[in-house]
Amino acid sequence: MSISAMPESLLSVRGIHTYYGDSYVLQGLSLEQPEGSIVAILGRNGMGKTTFIRSVAGLTPPRQGEIRFKGAQLSGRAPYAIAQAGIALVPQGRRIFRSLSVRENLLLPTSGLARPRRGRWNLEAVLEQFPQLAERMHHSGAALSGGEQQMLAVGRALMANPDLILMDEPSEGLAPKLVQQVGSIMQDVRAHGHAVLLVEQNFEVAMSVADYIYVVSAGRFVFEGTPAELERAPEVLDQHLGVARAHA
Amino acid sequence: MDRARLMLLVVALAGAAALPWIGGPFWTGLATQMMIFGLLALSVDLLLGHAGLFSLTHASFFAVSAYTVAILQVRYGWPTLAAAPAGILLGTALAALFGISVRTRGVYFILITIALGYVVWGIAHRWSSFTGGDNGVTNVPFPAVGPLAVTSHTQYYYVVLAAVILCGLGYRVLIRSPFGLGLRGVKASETRMQSLGYRTGLHIYVAFVLSGALASFAGVLYVYYNKFVNPVAASFPVSVEAALMAIVGGTGTIVGPFLGAGVVLGLRNWVSSFVEMHHAIMGAVFIATVLWAPQGLVGIAARVRARLKGRDG
Repeated sequence: MSISAMPESLLSVRGIHTYYGDSYVLQGLSLEQPEGSIVAILGRNGMGKTTFIRSVAGLTPPRQGEIRFKGAQLSGRAPYAIAQAGIALVPQGRRIFRSLSVRENLLLPTSGLARPRRGRWNLEAVLEQFPQLAERMHHSGAALSGGEQQMLAVGRALMANPDLILMDEPSEGLAPKLVQQVGSIMQDVRAHGHAVLLVEQNFEVAMSVADYIYVVSAGRFVFEGTPAELERAPEVLDQHLGVARAHA
Repeated sequence: MDRARLMLLVVALAGAAALPWIGGPFWTGLATQMMIFGLLALSVDLLLGHAGLFSLTHASFFAVSAYTVAILQVRYGWPTLAAAPAGILLGTALAALFGISVRTRGVYFILITIALGYVVWGIAHRWSSFTGGDNGVTNVPFPAVGPLAVTSHTQYYYVVLAAVILCGLGYRVLIRSPFGLGLRGVKASETRMQSLGYRTGLHIYVAFVLSGALASFAGVLYVYYNKFVNPVAASFPVSVEAALMAIVGGTGTIVGPFLGAGVVLGLRNWVSSFVEMHHAIMGAVFIATVLWAPQGLVGIAARVRARLKGRDG
């Protein structure tokens, strides 16, 4: 296949090295994400998952390597510019604005000096997707349950009509039933044409929703492949994820 | 707006309109000062209560605007209609320059604004050939627009009342706009706002300039009331008191800064008539506010209302 015939990735990360303060966290990571796909990065705590998300979002820029999004150079650009290019972040711990109402939280991505991106998502569409939020529009973010906060965080990301949503441990701290719900939210989001880059500790969540999985350990990718391929790699599961498989 | 609030508003407006007959010159004067300094406190609170930035240089915009009006009217004979806009323009231009301070945050922002404030005070104090030094610029007339001229402090009280109501309404529109929402978002978390596509630095800069413009307008109202301006207007205590007025009254609200101004000015007038150390008493009031009523008077009122409602229900 010639280079010009290769499908252009939506997100293309090539050999990034990122430091968090003095510690050398990401040690040359490369990742390709096609449009409309769910890619998951699996790994235990402290392996660099959040730093990877922060590198893409521009919050902790890599010192080396390059990040391209829809063919354009992303590395070195400010977080707001990256957001305006079409990347939305659902931060770890569902960091919604607790001092603002649900409605205000949802309106933020289209307010003020931010340049709104047009698309299928607006307030009505988001509330149709998450009817529970419609009943709590004038409550403050602090009054929401964990599951509702997650819906709000995803709804807020959708309001920006992004091409790619970065999700940092969406299942963290949620009851099992809600974890399932988060999985189906991601599948819905993909069905609407948005790509999701998911960072997870929860093996089951990643396996059930992702099209492609990277496993990170100590700042390097030690595996990449489909969920089915990961299933057949017992040494990765055992050594890097601590998942004991009965049939492995 | 519910009926209780509407009633309160009507009573307050009627009281304000009738004050010169009920209270006489003393209370009318005090109320005028309360509105002028309340407006200055409101300008400080746009940054403090909404964006979470503690500025201590707002006396600079207030004073530059007041000096501009005084010098242009007294020395160059400019009419009010030209001098007052020039004052606001120059004060706002200074805010556009001092806005570089928003490149810093937290304690560095506070320190840099203190330093900038001292520069302006120093110029007003030392460049006496232009500013009149400690004596300042005196004999500022009442404002006049064509044949319409203010001739007494009572009339001027109504001018200030109208101006403050208009400013309050404009301020309300601003903080309820998407721009105001963005500011509150920045106060909660600046990085998250950046991830939502906001150029937070620019957003805060614009808020700083707008807030400087409002402080400049307060300076115009001040100089026509006071009839003179000297370096005290530019001094550090004026900036500090404006911030404390907002805190005592209740930050992030519109009436709060005005109530706070009433408390501070009222205390100063009343207490200083029988105690020398009114500064110490004021200090105690501020400490008590921060410790026990961080939401200020407006917060106390809201708590009392909530308790009464709870008893009814």
